[in-house]
Amino acid sequence: MNASTARVAVAFGGPSPEHDVSVLTGLQAAHELSRARRDVTALYWSKTAEWFRVDPSLEAADFVEGVPRRAEGLRLVTGGDGAGFVPAAGRMGRARPLAVDAVVNCCHGGPGEDGTLQAALDLAGVAYTGPGVASAALGMDKLSFAGVVHDAGLPALARVLLGPDGAGVDFPGPYIVKPRFGGSSIGIDVVEDLATAVARLGANRQLRRGAVLEPFRPELFDLNIAVRAWPRPELSAVERPLRSASGAEILGYADKYVGGEGMASAPRELPADLPTDVVSSLRDMARRVIDVALVRGVARIDFLSDGRDLFVNEVNTVPGSLARYLWVEPAVPFLDLLDAMVDEALNVPASAHSAAGADGTVLRSAGGIAGKLA
Amino acid sequence: MTVAPAAVAGNAGTAGRILLVTGAGGGLTGGGDHLLRALVVTACAAAIAAAGLRWLRVAQREHYLPGSAWRFALRWWGSTVPVNLAGATVAVAGMVLATWWPAAALATAVVVGAGPLGLSVRGRTSPLAWTRRLRTLAAISAALAVAAVAGATVAGEGPLVAAQVALLAPLVVDVACVLSGPLERRLAGAHVARAAARLARVAPRVVAITGSYGKTSTKGYVAHLVGGAMSVVASPASFNNRAGLARAVNEHLADGTDVFVAEMGTYGPGEIAQLCSWIHPDVAVITAIGPVHLERFGSEDRIVAAKSEILTAAPCAVLVVDDPRLAALADRSPGTTRVWRVSGRDPGADVAVIEHGDGLAVAVRGEQIASAVAVEARPGNVAAAVAVALELGVAPDEVARRLPTLPTAPHRLDRSVGGGGVVVLDDTYNANPAGARAALATLERLGRDAGRRVVVTPGMVELGRLQADANAAFARAAGAVATHLVVVGWTNRRDLLRGAGTAADTPGPARTVTVRTRQQATAWVRDHLGQGDVVLYENDLPDHYP
Repeated sequence: MNASTARVAVAFGGPSPEHDVSVLTGLQAAHELSRARRDVTALYWSKTAEWFRVDPSLEAADFVEGVPRRAEGLRLVTGGDGAGFVPAAGRMGRARPLAVDAVVNCCHGGPGEDGTLQAALDLAGVAYTGPGVASAALGMDKLSFAGVVHDAGLPALARVLLGPDGAGVDFPGPYIVKPRFGGSSIGIDVVEDLATAVARLGANRQLRRGAVLEPFRPELFDLNIAVRAWPRPELSAVERPLRSASGAEILGYADKYVGGEGMASAPRELPADLPTDVVSSLRDMARRVIDVALVRGVARIDFLSDGRDLFVNEVNTVPGSLARYLWVEPAVPFLDLLDAMVDEALNVPASAHSAAGADGTVLRSAGGIAGKLA
Repeated sequence: MTVAPAAVAGNAGTAGRILLVTGAGGGLTGGGDHLLRALVVTACAAAIAAAGLRWLRVAQREHYLPGSAWRFALRWWGSTVPVNLAGATVAVAGMVLATWWPAAALATAVVVGAGPLGLSVRGRTSPLAWTRRLRTLAAISAALAVAAVAGATVAGEGPLVAAQVALLAPLVVDVACVLSGPLERRLAGAHVARAAARLARVAPRVVAITGSYGKTSTKGYVAHLVGGAMSVVASPASFNNRAGLARAVNEHLADGTDVFVAEMGTYGPGEIAQLCSWIHPDVAVITAIGPVHLERFGSEDRIVAAKSEILTAAPCAVLVVDDPRLAALADRSPGTTRVWRVSGRDPGADVAVIEHGDGLAVAVRGEQIASAVAVEARPGNVAAAVAVALELGVAPDEVARRLPTLPTAPHRLDRSVGGGGVVVLDDTYNANPAGARAALATLERLGRDAGRRVVVTPGMVELGRLQADANAAFARAAGAVATHLVVVGWTNRRDLLRGAGTAADTPGPARTVTVRTRQQATAWVRDHLGQGDVVLYENDLPDHYP
């Protein structure tokens, strides 16, 4: 079996602040696969975390009010023979799971990108594209990722945990306050001093699960590159996304997603106009990140730069529009990108659960638990 | 052999007999008569199908309230549209004549099939949507019609009864609405039960907002002011009844939501109490009382009573006391309810939002938290939203920080520059007299130096007995401000023209233009207006109105 014969299900939506952008990415992928006459199913994950099979030819407008018409309810069942996406309407025991060889994960942010969905699919025995549990969880935790990058000897800006007392911050303001967990730029604030940063902890709900603090350097701009590990490690052109004219301090969520068909239509300079040595050192770093961040599928690595120095900022393991618009040099058509992801999903399992070694020795020698406790 | 006319109908089902049909201008063979009758019944059946779809669409637009199809049928066939009144006369005459002369029912079939001119089967602004509920209703309606016509055909009265059913097609839809009621309540009950369970599990704090107008704006303001500090889910605007709110909870209320803002609409007494029986608001807001849906309520006092149902269930109430009836409600509320009296005028209110030249000033119990907030928003609604945010525990400086970026809802007197440099004021979402007066004031302010100031409006509906006078009064006020009044459609044409006529004694009275549809109105604007002109689109009626 390969990508052109596999039965593919595109999953999108999800209980995430990026639900709507994910719908766009998912529909782009589903439409592309349908155009190529692939056997494609669309799996919509609602904001309230219910699964539905929907028509892959639906448009974004069909999702504005919620679950689209004629959506068929599904349950994601883990473990055992009946595991997978099972029609909810079928009588218990009778309903067979949908015939799906691989799920194309287009869920951005939240449980679709932080390892939760990946874990559920692993347990259900369903192959999928994109990051596995560990890669997803690492990419979603800005503090852990910065630590891993730093330990790998790659340059990064200072990034520290922001506690309610503001302790441990050894660099001066102004600062950027970011949610520790979460994708995109949602919930990011620029503040002048530490006291204001600490005050944001109470006022900004995005920071409730933890916040990190970085120095704010207005001269830095974003540089993005897409990477993939399959069929061989490969890098896209380098992109310099452009901010809207409104004078925003950082590249915001609205700049990226509002008023177009997702990331694919945001303003940008591609390839970025940079000195060749900067480009080549960025590419070297990106290649290192592929291993460090356990990249699977297509990931987008975001750097910050002043035009000379480079800092690894973060990795997006399920990037908007699957970063298809970045593959101009080398040119990789969207369908080829999807096919490679599906082939990787079929050939490289995201997880390898093993019970080897649990041969009963421990159990046999344990004796009676009740006896020990008595 | 000849038979008396009365026997003709009675024996029509018997094949092979030679009958004389009086009034048909001569004798017909039995076979010919059969053919004619079959033809007439078939034509009527086709007309019933076409008419049925039309009135199903109207029923859908009118929330499946029994009686609405018939009410709209009277409006469409009645005196508002002259050509349709003539058609209705022909159709009724055909049905009456069919008692003696079956072929006359063909006239009924043609008129009913063609329908009242202007009411299309599929609809443009509000197309027929084949939802599960509509399919049920269509099946019941079809069954009723088929049973009546088939029964009558067996009894030999096919053409006459088919013509009667064609004429009464809207009533058939209404009866189907009544019959499907118990089923629909049961089905909706399952969704509501699921939603209630979900609400209990997610356990957000619930803000319920009602009011004759301003609830959608206020809901948006609350979501914005609270959204930074807490995760907020607001019900979509069109989801403001039992089924809609159940859907909003089931499909939008994600786990971990801190605050759910529910917009509650009401079309009759008891409805909001029912909603509160499973939504359980923590904070209840009433924005305003006005004569909206008066047609269904009967009196404004009953509207106040229906809206105040929202208060009985909530431990905290936010009332915009600029309306004396809401001020009275605040005075009457039980001591166990914490009441926020908020105002867009009175600096002494718990939250006062006062409009100054440089924007809004916001004070909480006399202490100013923000000033010069440059947003185009009704102060009373902003005050209500601020009170809700504070009640939910958002810090006053966070509220102040977010006030300047309040979202102005689309269609709420949106200003833009259209083709040819015409300034367009879009108030098409508004449907109440107070809002219409405010829009006229804006037109006057912005259009002071304009060449032409034009008001395009189909008038307001659902105002019951007040509707005729409210539209006349609006047209009179518009006539004093505008240079041209473009009256759209037939629904309120007479009253609008009457009102505009009485404005004739004001300086430079408006000229009136009448068009049938919104498209024709925009075409008129394109053809006649240009740089420096201002046009106000006031209200828009869906195309199931004449």
